[in-house]
Amino acid sequence: MTDSTGNLTSAALVAGGTGEAMITLEGVEKWFGDFAALAGVDLVVGRQEVVVVIGPSGSGKSTLIRCINRLEKHDRGRIVVDDTEMSDDLRNIAEIRRETGMVFQSFNLFPHLTVLENITLAPRQVRRQSKLDADAVGMELLERVKIPEQAHKYPGQLSGGQQQRVAIARALAMQPKVMLFDEPTSALDPEMVAEVLDAMKELARTGMTMIVVTHEMGFAREVADRVVFMADGEIVEVGTPQHFFDTPQEERTKLFLAQIL
Amino acid sequence: MIPSTEAAIPEPTEDVRLSPPVHEVGPVEWARLNLFSSWFNTVLTVVFGILFSWLAYRAARFVVVTAEWEIVRRNLTNFMVGRFDRTQLWRPWVAAGVLALTGGVVAGAMGRVSAELAAQQDRTQPKVTLAGYIQRFWPLIIMVLFVLSMTRTIWPTILTALVLAVGLAGRRVGTALPPAARRLTWLYAVVGLIVAVQVLVAFGGVGWGGWGGVHINVFVTVVGIVLAFPLGMLLALGRRSSLPVVRWVSVAYIEFFRGVPLLALLLVAQFVVQFFLPPTIAAPSFLMRALIVIVLFESAYIAEIVRGGLQSIGRGQIEAAQALGMSPWATTRRIVLPQALRAVIPAMVGQFISLFQDTSLLYVLGFFELLAVGQNVTSQTDFVGQGLQAVTLPFVAFIFWAISYSMSRESRRLETRLGIGVR
Ligand SMILES: Nc1ncnc2c1ncn2[C@@H]1O[C@H](COP(=O)(O)OP(=O)(O)OP(=O)(O)O)[C@@H](O)[C@H]1O
Ligand SMILES: [Mg+2]
Repeated sequence: MTDSTGNLTSAALVAGGTGEAMITLEGVEKWFGDFAALAGVDLVVGRQEVVVVIGPSGSGKSTLIRCINRLEKHDRGRIVVDDTEMSDDLRNIAEIRRETGMVFQSFNLFPHLTVLENITLAPRQVRRQSKLDADAVGMELLERVKIPEQAHKYPGQLSGGQQQRVAIARALAMQPKVMLFDEPTSALDPEMVAEVLDAMKELARTGMTMIVVTHEMGFAREVADRVVFMADGEIVEVGTPQHFFDTPQEERTKLFLAQIL
Repeated sequence: MIPSTEAAIPEPTEDVRLSPPVHEVGPVEWARLNLFSSWFNTVLTVVFGILFSWLAYRAARFVVVTAEWEIVRRNLTNFMVGRFDRTQLWRPWVAAGVLALTGGVVAGAMGRVSAELAAQQDRTQPKVTLAGYIQRFWPLIIMVLFVLSMTRTIWPTILTALVLAVGLAGRRVGTALPPAARRLTWLYAVVGLIVAVQVLVAFGGVGWGGWGGVHINVFVTVVGIVLAFPLGMLLALGRRSSLPVVRWVSVAYIEFFRGVPLLALLLVAQFVVQFFLPPTIAAPSFLMRALIVIVLFESAYIAEIVRGGLQSIGRGQIEAAQALGMSPWATTRRIVLPQALRAVIPAMVGQFISLFQDTSLLYVLGFFELLAVGQNVTSQTDFVGQGLQAVTLPFVAFIFWAISYSMSRESRRLETRLGIGVR
């Protein structure tokens, strides 16, 4: 990790939110062949903190959050989620996956199940909830993302924005302590972006710990506690939104912001 | 104020925007669009019209005038059940009743489930009507009516009506089942099948050796499907397993059985198996051997069909399930397999149809199945040497066709039904 100012490491390693660490990454590396998608990432995310990750395409943002719930296996370093260290032990993996919800760019809803079944499947299979309980929780979550009337439709009958809100409800149904978002609005038509971002803002207000990869700078300014800028598999700069957008320190950050703003 | 502007504003009597536009094309318009849209189409229409009319006339003439149906009439029981002990004929009828009851319960339960889902989604479902049934099952209905027209007493007709009535009663029961019991349809199907077989064989009944006619074709098909389908599914999963040994065994199995003709395998089972069995172990009956071979053979093909379906499921589906903490087995069972199987319904039913037709190979092994009956009855003393294959073989073909085509129609119906959930 490049650390010319001496301020990067401290900013990345001090947990925001309540100050207690929820997610700790230490020297995390991920190699695809001899290409380092993550070249030693250190980051601490605090309880109830919202961290937005930005960076150019191919910089390793997706890889980073996919390592946190073991959709990718990291090669070096440590990943600790809520005091459970990620290892090859299947019980640890299951434990961490139960505590982290994930929302994908392409929704990945189950097309053969109704909206409500999408939401209740994992609680019933994994948490062994009764159908009655799971349905009740599911309907509550659909109210929360403002589409209870779609409960018995199939995902294919919904708009993109509605589908992504179902995906959020599905992840929340497992009562996770952390939510990971990988470009949740990138596949949406512009007029549907707001409804998904609103659902995410509401979630942030309730104190959910969130890591959000996104290109929505307005969302980052409004909701993020800290913004992380990645390039070439490394964290280049970390800071509060004001600090980050108004007085970026690193050349690469300035260049990137100049391109997208 | 000018009166005409007032008149120009229509009274909002009925909100027409809320009903979808109706496209109706009259028969004349339809014919113009589809049959006579150009001079070339007109010529085609006329030529094929004449050809089809002539063929239809010849076929009708054959059925009504030329064909000597006496041979079918006298051998109807042979066509249906072969040499089945004539004092035990009540057994197939009761078995048919059991199957009708089972089918009715399953259909009723499934209909209720899909009706409730439709209600939750504010969709209106077409009502089940007699016309609907006729449209859905017309090949089978024609077959049954034709067979009944060949009977010499009124009893088969009465019994058929009874079986139908039992089926309808079963449907009532299925509709009335409590929700928890509605989801066990597969269990009812399996139990119904076992009971039906027991009705035939148990307590002094007729063992497999005494079965025949279309009954044995259907039996081998149904048992073949019921056993080969799960085996094929396991093989397909095995072929994608992360354990090398499981993978190799699956691949070797699949490629072996796909590489040898079914008839060759059947002959091997009839003539070679006993040399490999120690003399203390009695070789299984011929029909049992044929069944085993058919199950082994079909499962290899089914495995390849299922594998195609498995490959069509995107990584995103599996990752979503993993991210939710679902186990690999739960992911396979609840996410991957249901979608994969839906995707391959047409190919799968195609395989089932070809299995049904392949049961005619049992003829070569000396079984008295439908095709064999069609051939053998022409050498009865009353009918020998009169070229009556011209009557029996079309009859046999018609029964094969009616059942195969019904399977294919039901598969298309299933596809559109399940298609609701897919993008
Ligand atoms: N399965 C894989 N095999 C090989 N290379 C991969 C694989 N997954 C990712 N990579 C590479 O790793 C690098 C980081 O990928 P990643 O998807 O994390 O980038 P990203 O920052 O999310 O980009 P984007 O904004 O386009 O989503 C890319 O160069 C990508 O090509
Ligand atoms: Mg990405």
